[in-house]
Amino acid sequence: MEKRESLWEAYLRRGFSRRSFLKGCVALTSLMGFSTDMFSKVVEAAETKPLPVVIWIHGHECTGCDESFIRSGAPLASDVVLSSIALEYDHLLSAACGAPFEAHLDETIAKYNGQYILCVEGAVATKDSGVYCMSGGHTFTHLLEKAAKGAAAIIAYGSCAAYGGIQAAKPNPTGSAGIERFVGGKPVVKVPGCPPIPEVMTGVVMHVALFGTLPPLDGDGRPKQFYGNRIHDTCYRRPFFDAGMFAEQFDDAGAKAGWCLYKLGCRGPETYNSCGNLRWWQGMSYPIQSGAPCIGCSNSNFWDEDPFTDRLPKYGKLGDVDKIGAALGVLTAAGVAGHGIASIIQRNSRENLIDEEHHE
Amino acid sequence: MAIKSVKDVKRKEYYLFSPFLRIFHWLMVVMILVLFGTGLLITKPMNVAATEPVFTSLSMDLVRDIHFLAAFILCAGLIMRVYGFIINKGDRLFPRFWEGHFYSETVEVALHYMLLKSHHAPFLRNPLARGSYAMLYVLLAIEILTGFAMYLAANPASTFGTLFGWVNVLVGSEMMSHYIHHYVAWFIILFAIGHFYMVVRAEFMEGESEVSSMFSGKKVLAHTPKDANELD
Ligand code: SF4
Ligand code: SF4
Repeated sequence: MEKRESLWEAYLRRGFSRRSFLKGCVALTSLMGFSTDMFSKVVEAAETKPLPVVIWIHGHECTGCDESFIRSGAPLASDVVLSSIALEYDHLLSAACGAPFEAHLDETIAKYNGQYILCVEGAVATKDSGVYCMSGGHTFTHLLEKAAKGAAAIIAYGSCAAYGGIQAAKPNPTGSAGIERFVGGKPVVKVPGCPPIPEVMTGVVMHVALFGTLPPLDGDGRPKQFYGNRIHDTCYRRPFFDAGMFAEQFDDAGAKAGWCLYKLGCRGPETYNSCGNLRWWQGMSYPIQSGAPCIGCSNSNFWDEDPFTDRLPKYGKLGDVDKIGAALGVLTAAGVAGHGIASIIQRNSRENLIDEEHHE
Repeated sequence: MAIKSVKDVKRKEYYLFSPFLRIFHWLMVVMILVLFGTGLLITKPMNVAATEPVFTSLSMDLVRDIHFLAAFILCAGLIMRVYGFIINKGDRLFPRFWEGHFYSETVEVALHYMLLKSHHAPFLRNPLARGSYAMLYVLLAIEILTGFAMYLAANPASTFGTLFGWVNVLVGSEMMSHYIHHYVAWFIILFAIGHFYMVVRAEFMEGESEVSSMFSGKKVLAHTPKDANELD
């Protein structure tokens, strides 16, 4: 096997200065959620570790995660793709196509068996032997199983790969599901979000690339440094929540004043993601900052928990459970009152009967 | 007639409920009301509409803290209930569905409640009521599990977080835990209305000392209940 170059060697080949290399390493360190005392380790890894081979495949999805990924600002997605990883196969970002492209995939899998990182985007269509999602003449399940076998690490990008995503919404005609069942029991790093935050995507793959280990994961397989907090616990509108100051309508004074969006259905209290602290597009903004309640796009099942602008599901004219519950409460009270009256009548007639028997 | 004159009737005293059960019962009444009220307010908070967050007093934060405090008190009270269960036979109210007569007796009581039968055999604890309490405990368990799962999700990686985190996974998502928690709360309230009516009815119509026994622990009865032997 030919020698693969390290990040430092790639910089050298391009004629970048040592200074810009170190700068890049600083950015990487903070991005991966490390403190600065890890910096020397990062530099060491970047100098010596060969660039990891990455195979990036796409299943049942909209490729929105890629749209997010290519907008990563620190590190720039182009840097990641061109100089930080060796992206050997990618459905979306490849210039090649057709049979040679597919043959290259098989070559890569064989050549780097047990060494490559597998990035998966999109759900697995499981119904009818997986025919609802085909790639290169095979089902996506087939491709996934094949690629997962020799992978050193597997990253599930997006809520689709992690949990099934939009296509898994009721009634889920294609039987879409997360990839976990099709990777032969290997651990999967879940990077949910619809789409995930670009810097989170690059950060996770860079962690695996540089250290050859999975980042610290929570019980669900999500990297702790990016999914360890709820939006609600990092939201800058939280003081308004605690104080009880809520926007009631999208166009009322509270909405204009930037109050908490809880009553407009904000899912921040149930959602784990970095939108509150990293924010989007190099920290420019995030949905809540722009006045839109969080819809919980990085949660399993968020697609079936509509309406997004209410805290409780509604049942047509009946209203939500509070209305139904109150009505049932009144009905029950009326019912027991009626039952009480009927019971008294029943007892009286019973006693009359006993009385009559006594008289006889 | 003699039968109507109280003084002439011989009554027997049955000691049923330990103080632990009684204290727990009334604690539960208060806490359920508090939890239900604050719970509704948490789902649909009142808008304080203050000019500055710092100037508000009846805040969402306070309402949530009351809710959590009440929840912890209720859970602590459960320990008393379990203790009573261990030391006192009268506290053991689980329906005895493994005994054959349970079914015929349940049907009989149910027929009476449906006004199809003029009376049912007297019990210290009738099998239908016992069944409804078992149901209530199931509802409470659901509230406790989903409640802690949501409460501890603020730090899902903590020890307690992992202890209850599986609930959110089991029901599909954390939002689903919220829904279930809220829906089951309404069932508990519906139970409470029915329960309130049934004990008052039993006290005044069937000559059972249902209401008073939850204060005194005793039932003073003129008749011999069918399940009196369960106490010895
Ligand atoms: S997770 Fe969302 S954005 Fe990403 S591919 Fe799926 S549907 Fe598109
Ligand atoms: S806007 Fe949403 S995330 Fe922010 S404090 Fe309000 S409920 Fe929480």
